Amino acid sequence: MTFTLTGILDAVLGRGESAITVPALDGALRPNRKLDGAFERIAIDRPSGLIVRPDGIVASSANEIRRLQAGGAWVPVYKADTTISCLGEAGDGIAVGLENGTVEIIGGRFDGATLKPTPEARCPVAIAALEDSLYVCHGSASNSPSAWQRDLMERNASGSVWLYDLAASGNRRRLADRLAFPAGIVANRETLIVSESWRHRVLRLQRSTGAVLDVPFGDLPGYPGQISRDGTQGYFLSVFAPRSQLVEFILREPRYKRRMLAEVDPRYWVAPCYRAGRSFYEPLQGGGVKHLGMLKPWAPTLSFGMVIRMDENCLPIESFQSRADGRTHGVVGAVLHGDCLCVASRGDGVIARLGVADSSSGPP
Amino acid sequence: MTAILELREGTKEYRGVPALKNVTFTLERGEVHALLGENGAGKSTLTKMLAGVVPPTSGQILIDGKPAELTSPADALSKGIAMVYQETSLVPSLTVAQNLYLADARWFNRLRGIYIAAQQFLQSLNFPVDPAALVSSLGAGQKQMVEIARAVHHKARVIIFDEPTGTLTPEEKHHFFALVKRLRTHDVSIIFISHALEEALQISDRITILRDGEHVVTDATPTFDRARIVRAMVGRALSEELYGNADQRRRRPAGRKVLSVQNLSMGTLVRNNTFSVFAGQITGVFGLIGSGRTETAKVVSGVMKRDFFHGGQVRLEGRPVRYRVPLPAVRDGILYVTEDRKLEGFFETMSIAENIYLGAVAGGQDRSRIVSAADMKKLADEWVNALNIKVINPGARVIELSGGNQQKVVVAKALVQKPKLIIFDEPTRGVDVGAIAEIHQLVNRLADQGLAVMVISSYLPEILHLSDRILVSRQGRIVEEFTGAEANEEMIMYAAVH
Repeated sequence: MTFTLTGILDAVLGRGESAITVPALDGALRPNRKLDGAFERIAIDRPSGLIVRPDGIVASSANEIRRLQAGGAWVPVYKADTTISCLGEAGDGIAVGLENGTVEIIGGRFDGATLKPTPEARCPVAIAALEDSLYVCHGSASNSPSAWQRDLMERNASGSVWLYDLAASGNRRRLADRLAFPAGIVANRETLIVSESWRHRVLRLQRSTGAVLDVPFGDLPGYPGQISRDGTQGYFLSVFAPRSQLVEFILREPRYKRRMLAEVDPRYWVAPCYRAGRSFYEPLQGGGVKHLGMLKPWAPTLSFGMVIRMDENCLPIESFQSRADGRTHGVVGAVLHGDCLCVASRGDGVIARLGVADSSSGPP
Repeated sequence: MTAILELREGTKEYRGVPALKNVTFTLERGEVHALLGENGAGKSTLTKMLAGVVPPTSGQILIDGKPAELTSPADALSKGIAMVYQETSLVPSLTVAQNLYLADARWFNRLRGIYIAAQQFLQSLNFPVDPAALVSSLGAGQKQMVEIARAVHHKARVIIFDEPTGTLTPEEKHHFFALVKRLRTHDVSIIFISHALEEALQISDRITILRDGEHVVTDATPTFDRARIVRAMVGRALSEELYGNADQRRRRPAGRKVLSVQNLSMGTLVRNNTFSVFAGQITGVFGLIGSGRTETAKVVSGVMKRDFFHGGQVRLEGRPVRYRVPLPAVRDGILYVTEDRKLEGFFETMSIAENIYLGAVAGGQDRSRIVSAADMKKLADEWVNALNIKVINPGARVIELSGGNQQKVVVAKALVQKPKLIIFDEPTRGVDVGAIAEIHQLVNRLADQGLAVMVISSYLPEILHLSDRILVSRQGRIVEEFTGAEANEEMIMYAAVH
C-alpha cells in the first residue's frame, strides 16, 4: 500500500522512479566527433558483430560472416541459416550467435559444435571465451535478439549469462540471471565484465559463480552493448543507442506503451534506435531538433554513436562519438586492430577505422 | 602640495597587542591609493583610524595639513571622509532610497521625492538598482553598489573602499572602475583595499603595502608588478606557488562518478541543470553572480530545496538522494563549504575547538552524550596542526582570527566529517595571499586523496589554476565544459557571458 502511494506521489511530483532524467555527456563522455573523423570507412550492410582474428578483421552482416581484405573488399567466409546476432572468439575458432538462439562454433578445435537454445537461453547477444569455456549472454528469455526494442519497452529483466564447457560436449551452467539485457561480455581470469543495457551499467561478476561483485560504471547516458579489450588493461565499450528523456518518459507510461507495441508499426515506435533523423515520420528523440530541414548537431543528448574507453577498473577515460548529425551511428562493436580502433556502425552500415594511440582520428 | 589626509607615526594597540606600529600614510588630493597586505597586516585598523571608527593609541591624523581628531564615523563624514565597508552596513528592512537618504532625514520626508532623487542619482552612477527595492532582497553585488552610492552621495572628499569588488561581477567591476575614475576627476581621493592584486595595479596611482602592522613600502604603481607586490606582502615569492605554473600542472584523470545532477530545477535560479562530479578530481565551476552556481551546490547539499514538482534528480554514487535539510547530506558525505563563512560557516563567539567539535558531532563522529573537553582539545589540536591554523590557543574565539585562518577552521569543520564530496564555494574570498596558497594546496591534497572536489569561484586565475575540468554556469545551468589543459580566460568568460 505504502509502495503504491509512494508510486502515485512520485508520479504526481516527478520524483524517484518518475523523475524523467538522463545523465549528462560530460567528463570522459564529453561530446566530440572522433568517430566521424575516421580515416577509413568501409561499407557493410547491417553489421551485427566484429572481431579480430589473426588473419584480419571479421564482421557479420545479415546471415554472412565476412573477412576484410587489404584494399577494403569483403570476402564471405561463412553463411548461416538465419540472421547472425553476434560474433565472438572461441579459442582458435569463431562462435556465432544466431537469431534463432543457437550458438555455432566455426573452425578450430571445436569446429561444428552447436549449442542449442533452451527456453531460458534463446537470445545470444554477446560471447566471450576463456580456455575451453564459452560465456554467452542471452539478452532476454522472451524475445529474440532483433526484438531488443520490444524487450526494452516491456521493461524485461530476463537476461542471463551462461557458461558452456566446450571440452565437455557443451555442458552448460547458468551463472547469472534476471539481468536487463546483458549485451556485452569479457572474460578475465577471476571476473566477467558484463554490460547490462536496460539498466545502463557495467557489472563485474565473479567468473566461477556469476555473483555480482560490484557496479564499476553505472548510470550511463546510453544503452551499453559489446565490450572488447583495448590492448592494455582496459576495455572498449560500445553504446548502441543514446538514452533520451522522451524514451524514458514512454518507459514509465504502461498504457501508452502497451498500445504502441500492439498497434503501431515498430518502425514508428518511440524507442531507441540505431539511427535517427532520416524520416519525418520518426519520433524526435528528446532535443533532436530539426530546424529548417537540418538536424541540429548540438541536440543535447544525441551522440548517436559512441565508444567508451574504460580503464582496468571499468572507469571511463575517453570516448569516441558521432553527434546527431554524424555518420557513424548505432555502434554495435568496437575492436582494436593494430593501432586502430575498428568500429561497426549498424546505423550507417560502415566499419570505421580510426587511430587511438594519441586519440586522434588520423592513421597511426 | 599638502596631502588631503595624513597619518603620522600612527600606532594602535588592542589590550597591549599592537595591530599597527608607527605607520605613516599620506593620501594626496585626487589620487587612488591602493592599500595592500595579508589578512592581519593592519589595513583595516589603519582605515578604521582614518574613518573615525577607532582612535589611534599614539600618532597624529592631519586633514589638509591641520591636526584633526576624529571622534566617530559621523564626525569623519562631516569632515569629508567616508568608508565603504566590506560587510555592508545598510539597513535591510529599508528600501534602497531610504538607505541612501538615511543620514539626511528631516522632520518631514516625502517618500516619492526620495525615490525620484535616488533613481536619478543611481542612474548618474550607472548602477542598475531599483530604489524602491528592499535592501534585504538585493544580491551582494547590488548591496555593494548602494553602499558605494551612499558614500558618493555624502559628497565625501575621501572615500575608503574596503574590498569593494569582492562581490561584483566583471561587468559591475567595470562600472565601478569607471566610477572611481570619474570621482578622481572631481578631486575625490580614494583609498582602495583589495586582495585582487591586478585590480590594484589597474586602478591605483600609488600603492602602500603593510605587513604585520608595519609599513613596508609606498611607491608609484608603475614601479610595481605582481611579483614585487607579493614579495613585499608576504616576504617571499609566492606567485609561482599561486597561479604561475597552471599550464604545466599535471591534470588528474577522473575517478568514479560520485555526483550526478540531472535536470535539477529550483525556481528561476537553477533551470534544468545537468552535470557530474568525479572522484579524485577538482571540478571547477565558474559563472557570474546569478548564474545559479551557489544555489545548485546548496540544493545538492540540502541547504536549499529543489522545485516541488519535477525538480530533477541528484544521484550520489548512483543512488537518488533528496535532502530537505543538510544533516542527512552530511551523513551521506556531501559537504558544502559556504561562500559566506561569517554568516553560515562558523559560530563566531565559540572557540576554534568548539567549532571543529561541532563538525564532528554533525558528521556523526561523536555520538556520546557527554562532551569531553579533553577529546575536543585533542581533535582541535590535530586539525590546527594539519591545516596549519595560526593560533596561539585552540580555545581562542574564531572571530579573533584572520580571514584565512577562519576559512581554515571552516574547512577543518567540514573535513572532520569525512566527506566523499566537498563543495568549496569561493574558498579564498577575503583571504590573504599567503593563506590562498595554503588553501589551494589543501584543496589539491584532498583531490589527490581521492575525494570528489568541486570548487565554485568567480576568480578566473583560481579556477584555471585549481581545476582538472571546468564547468561554466550561465542562467541556471551548465553551458560548457573544458578540460583544465585546454581552457583559458577568454574561452571561459565567453561561455559565461554569451
